[in-house]
Formats: sequence, C-alpha cells, structure tokens
Amino acid sequence: MRPVCASALVAFFLLVMSGVATAAPKRVLLLHSFGQEFAPFSEFSAAFRKDLPQQSAGPIDLYEASIETARFRDSQDEGPLVQYLRALFADRNLDLIVTIGDPATHLLQRYRAQLFPSTPVLIAATEQRLIDAEVLSANETSVGVTINFDRVVDNLLAVLPETTTVAVVIGNSPLERYWVGELRKLFEPLANRVHFLWFNELSHKELLERVASLPPHSAVLYLDVWVDVDGISYEHDKVLTELHAQGDAPIFGYVDGNFGRGIVGGPLLSVSAISRRTAEVATRILGGQTPSDIKTLPFGLGAPEFDARELQRWNIAESRLPAGSIVEFREPTIWAKYRWPLLLTAVVLLAQAVIIGWLLFERRRRRVAELESRQRVLEVIHLNRTVAAGALSASIAHELNQPLGAVQSNADTAELLLAGSPPDIDQVKEILGDIRVANQRAADIIQHFSMLLRRQSEVDLQRFDLNEAIADAVRILSAEAKKRGISLEANKLRQPLTVRADQVHLLQVLLNLALNGMDAMSGVAPDLRKISIQTALAGEAKVEVSVVDSGVGIPKEQLKEVFKSFYTTKQHGTGLGLSIARTIVEAYGGRIWAENRTEGGAVFRFTLPLAEPYPI
Amino acid sequence: MIGAPLIRVVDDDSLFRAAVARLLRAAGYQVALYESGDQLLQNPSDVDPGCILLDMRMSDLDGLELQDRLKEAGCILPIVFLTGYGDIPSSVKAIKAGADDFLSKPVAKGPLLAAIDRALARYSALRADRDRIGGLRSHLSELTTRELEVFLLVVRGKLNKEIAFEIGTSERTVKAHRHSAMKKLKVRSVAAAVSIAERLGMLKPQSD
Repeated sequence: MRPVCASALVAFFLLVMSGVATAAPKRVLLLHSFGQEFAPFSEFSAAFRKDLPQQSAGPIDLYEASIETARFRDSQDEGPLVQYLRALFADRNLDLIVTIGDPATHLLQRYRAQLFPSTPVLIAATEQRLIDAEVLSANETSVGVTINFDRVVDNLLAVLPETTTVAVVIGNSPLERYWVGELRKLFEPLANRVHFLWFNELSHKELLERVASLPPHSAVLYLDVWVDVDGISYEHDKVLTELHAQGDAPIFGYVDGNFGRGIVGGPLLSVSAISRRTAEVATRILGGQTPSDIKTLPFGLGAPEFDARELQRWNIAESRLPAGSIVEFREPTIWAKYRWPLLLTAVVLLAQAVIIGWLLFERRRRRVAELESRQRVLEVIHLNRTVAAGALSASIAHELNQPLGAVQSNADTAELLLAGSPPDIDQVKEILGDIRVANQRAADIIQHFSMLLRRQSEVDLQRFDLNEAIADAVRILSAEAKKRGISLEANKLRQPLTVRADQVHLLQVLLNLALNGMDAMSGVAPDLRKISIQTALAGEAKVEVSVVDSGVGIPKEQLKEVFKSFYTTKQHGTGLGLSIARTIVEAYGGRIWAENRTEGGAVFRFTLPLAEPYPI
Repeated sequence: MIGAPLIRVVDDDSLFRAAVARLLRAAGYQVALYESGDQLLQNPSDVDPGCILLDMRMSDLDGLELQDRLKEAGCILPIVFLTGYGDIPSSVKAIKAGADDFLSKPVAKGPLLAAIDRALARYSALRADRDRIGGLRSHLSELTTRELEVFLLVVRGKLNKEIAFEIGTSERTVKAHRHSAMKKLKVRSVAAAVSIAERLGMLKPQSD
C-alpha cells in the first residue's frame, strides 16, 4: 500500500507545478510622477494596487517607479532618469505601463521609442486637458479626468455666500504652477464677486501664517501642496491636516481622498471609481485588446458630498446645500449609537416607575386604611366608654341628686327664713355657703362623668400620675359600688407613678375591669362584696395594677378567652369591655392578664411602662 | 319647741342632712340626724312623736329591713322614703318595702312637708290605737283565772250551760264569773266583749 500512496502524491505535485507554470504573471509598471506618496495620486495608486489583481484573470507582477523630477524645476537633463528606467525595466518584458499624472505621461511619451517601444501604455489620473489625444498611438489609451474647478468655487460660494476672500492653497512645483496659471484664467470672471489669494509661492510656515491671518469671510480652496517654494515636498495630506487643525477658515477641495479629512465638501472626484475604471481598462489591455480601441469618457466631479462635522463647525445649514447633496460623517445621534441600551433603560425605568407608582399608591392606601382603622378603634373605645357611662348613669344621677337635693332644701329654707320677721340673715348666709359647696360638688361629679363621654379623634398623649387615674376611677365608681352594696377601695403608693398615655384611656381600663368585677359579684352575699385596686412596682421601669374582686372567678380554661372580642357571659354585655382594656393596655406597651384567687374571686392585672423609671 | 314632732333624718350625705334639717327646723319641727339606719336602731325610741325620713340607698341597711327591725323593737315611727334615683325599679322597690310615702330627690318643700304631715298623722293614729289596746290589756289583767276562762268561752259564743259543763262547775257559778268579768272589762253586751277579744288578738283558733 505505501509505494502506491507515495507515487500518487508525486503525481499530484507534478500536476500542480505544471498548472502554475502555464499561468505566467503579467508584468505591470506603475509610473508615478511625484513619488508614490503624493495625494491624490497616492490614494489612486493604493486603490489600483488592490483593484487590478482583483479584476485580472491571472497573477499580476506589479512594479513601481517614480520619476520624482516633476517636483523640481522643469528644465533639467532627463538622460540619467531614462537610463535608470531602462536599466530597471528594459528587459522585464512589461505587459503594461500605467502612467500616473501628467509629468510621468509626458516623460514616457518623450522616451517611449527608446524605453518601451511595444509595451501598451495606459494614461491614468491625468487631467484631460493635459493629454494630447492626437499624439496617442494605437498602443496607448487613457482614463482621463476632467476637473471643473469653477464648479468647485461655485459650490463654495453657494454654501458660504458671504465669502469675500478665497485663498487658493497649492504648491509651487512645475505642474502646480501650470494649474495656478490655468485657474487664474478660469477664475477671472469671478473677480468682481470674490477676491482670490494665491498662496502657491509661499513656504510651508508662511502658508500657515497667511491662512491664520485671513480676513473674516474667507475660505480656503485646497488643491494639494506637493512642493513649496523652498522645494520641500509634502506627502499625503500633511498640509491639509495642519490647516484643518489650525481651523482659521473653512477648507474646500475637489478630491474625495480629502473628504473626511478636513474639507467641507462639494462636487468631488472619486479616486476609487477612477481606480476601478483604470484597473478595468488595464485588465482588458492585459487580456490582449488593443488599447486604442478602448475609449472611456473622462471622469468629472461627482455629486456634491459634504462632511457633516465641517458643516456644523462652520455653521452651514444643510438647507443651504445644493439639491441632491450627500451628507456623510453625521455624528451618530445618541439614539442611533445606543438604541438598544436606551430602549432597555427606558423600559426598565418605565417598569420601575410603574412599580414605584404602584407601591406609593399602595402605601397611600395602606396609610388611609391604617388611619381609618385607628379611627375605628378610637370610635369603638369611645363607644365602650359611653356604654360604661350608661351603666354608671343611674348611680351618677343619684350622686348628682344629693347636692341638688341639698340645694333645693336650702333654697326652700332660705325662703322661709326671709319671710320671718325679723329674717334670720345669719342663717341665710350660712345656707348660701352650703349651696355653693353643693353646687361645686355637682360640678365635680359632672366633670368626672363627662370625661367618659368625651369624644376624641386623636389620642391625647400625656404624662400623668397613675394614682390620679385610679383616684378618678374610684370617684366615678363609688356611687355605683354603694348602690350595689360593694365596698370599693384602692391602695395608693406614695411615690408618683408617672406613665405616658391618654389618661381617659387608662381610666376606661380601670372602669372596665372594676365594672366587670362588680358584675361578677351580683350573686355574692353583700358582706363579702369587695373590689380593690392595687398598684405595685414591677421592677424599676414598670408598674403593675391589680383589680381584685371577690366574685365567682373565671373558669380556668377561659382565663385567656375573656380578653377576646364579643366574649361575654352576661345577658346584656357587649363582650367588648375586656377586649378594649387589652387593646388600650397593649397600645401603651403594657400587658394584661387574668388570674383566679385561691380565696375566691378573680384578679385582673396589667402592667405599664413607667415614663420615669423609679430607682429601687 | 318642746312638744313639736321629732323628725329622724337618716342620710349618709352630710350636706343633704344639714340642708333638710335646716328646712325642717325652719318649718317648726325638731330634728334628729343619723348617718345610717344602724345608728338609728341603737336607740329606736318612739316616745317623741314624729317620723323617719330615710334615704333609700343605704347600702348597709335597706328600708324594708329597717322597717322590720323597728317593728321588732316595738317602734311605730312611720317612714318617709327619699331616693336619688327616681326611676321605676327603685320606686317599686320602695313600695314593696312598705313605704307609706315615696319622694324623689331633689324634693321641694311643699311635697316634703305634706309627706311628713301625713306620716305624723299616721303616727298619731297608730299611737292612739296602741294606747286604747294598752287600756284593754290592763282591764283584762284584772280578771281572775276563772273569770278569764269563762270570758274566753263566752266570746267564742258558748252557752252558760256548755261553759259549766266544760269547766266542771254549776251554771250559777258560771253566771257569777261572767257578770264579774263583764263588769271588770266595762262592757255590757256580749258583742262588745267579742270586739275587745278580737282587738287583743284572743280569737285566733286555738291549737288544741
């Protein structure tokens, strides 16, 4: 198997080798006028180097040479240059010579017979008016260029109508001088409209200075500077870059190679199109077509193109541009640059806003609901107080009728006394004093009772001595206790028990617990009915209040149930008294619970935090 | 003011007590003040004519109880009830407690004095009644055992013959006892004798 394999490989290589050998490369010479790096020819040749191999069927062997001398003074001995070219290429069997620019074309035409008598020549990138069409032999053709500089200036004046001065920036090489002459003639008719400054005979430094000191409403017509007055050459777009960086006046040009590098724009020559056409013609010649058979129309300036950045820099409205203008290099809008991130951000923000809005709405609703429920709780508490007040009303009425009865009797007596002769004035005075005392007592009773009926929409937080609340409770309850035959007593700690709460609420807790205790004693023998309210310190920061009764007690399993709403064992109870007592105590940070006493009866205890801790 | 009726005011409220006392004194009565029913019961004398003005809500002793205990002590002072409640339950309670009069606080002079006058009138009636019965009792105590025996059978409508048989004596002897008893009791007819026996509570069915 191995020998067979090896022989097959050898045969394959032979085949490949023979294939390469049959397609011999076409030799093409690019003859430059100014060296390879001078704009706009440099851009043309760069494009052509790419275009030609792409379009050509076979491989291309590309040579390049530059006569360079075009930069210098015209009159000189071209002999050594011709010899140099001959030495390099005479034996190369060139298939095609492409001349770039007028100086190279003319040199070749002058020495063609000596150098390359039979090689086809393609004249490229040369102004039509510099090509003497009649001189062209059958072996020569051209892809010419026609530059209408008047159109360039017209465009300049259309875009910047207020322009009064146009500085023509161009070098001082022989070809450039030729163009200065041509253009001076061409621009003659415009002299009354605009003043032309010719900056060809300036050094590089002077040029920059002159441009910097241009009067207002000036523009620069940039026609490439190849060689300045000192004979220093400038490759690529060095001068343009410097002028642009200096930024003294808007710059106009005519080649699209400069487009995007600082010129405002206008009708431009398309270097790439010329290159493509040239490569096309070159391919046809290399393919064997007779050059003179290939006729192409010279390239002119294309549709106006403008650099958006320059328009903005010089404040030129796009509306002022000629119809059909193309505006390039638009600063991409933020929207164009970050479309998706922006969209996403917007969506996220929107979603967030919606969520935030919703949460705020919910929070508002919750606050309203909380306020409402708070209001309801206060209302229920108030309602419970009025129920307690109702339960106490009979005994309070009796209590009130005591001083009223005294007042009545005293008034009647005074009447009797005053009717006597002589009236007993001293006793009448005594009676009036007693009436005042009785009246005060009635006022006190009403004041205490009205505490229970006070309607409140807000909690009135205050610091007060718990002993006072207990004294008030005993005061209000005493009549009821007497009526029911219950002895009511309260121990009182000597130290003040300062708590922070609504005093009426705590009074209500005490009343609820005491009334509850009283109700539990209705079946107990009168001698044994007893309620006592006791206070004790529970630690240094809490006070514990106990309401002790001698009633029937609470079934053990219901000790916790009694604080639930609507739990009641009484026929007419609301089942809210203890529940509300718990609500109030817990609202002020306390705890409430019930116990049974071993000696009978129940005790309800609650704790409250002291506002001023009592040091033990 | 000696001889004026004595009004016993029972109220735990000193202010009210003083005011009523002042009014009653100005109206010409004597007044004794008590803080509670218990205090009154310590010396429940009805020797001085008058009545009791009682505040209903006396937790240590209610009106009915006070009335019972006064009766036990042989005190006939009528009670005028006063209440600060003025509601139906307490009115009913007062009536059930045997209140002769029932007043609500605050009470004007007119109704109060009228109620007191009515009570005093009741007292006088009771007092007169009690004095008469006391006279009859002293007459009755003058009878000999035999005379009393005969008298009790006479008021029960027994004939002399039956009485003689029952106590084992002659009809003539019964006649003599009967005559003597009627004389001592200062009555002439059997009907009057029956009336005395009835008022002194001697006609209750006998246990034998």
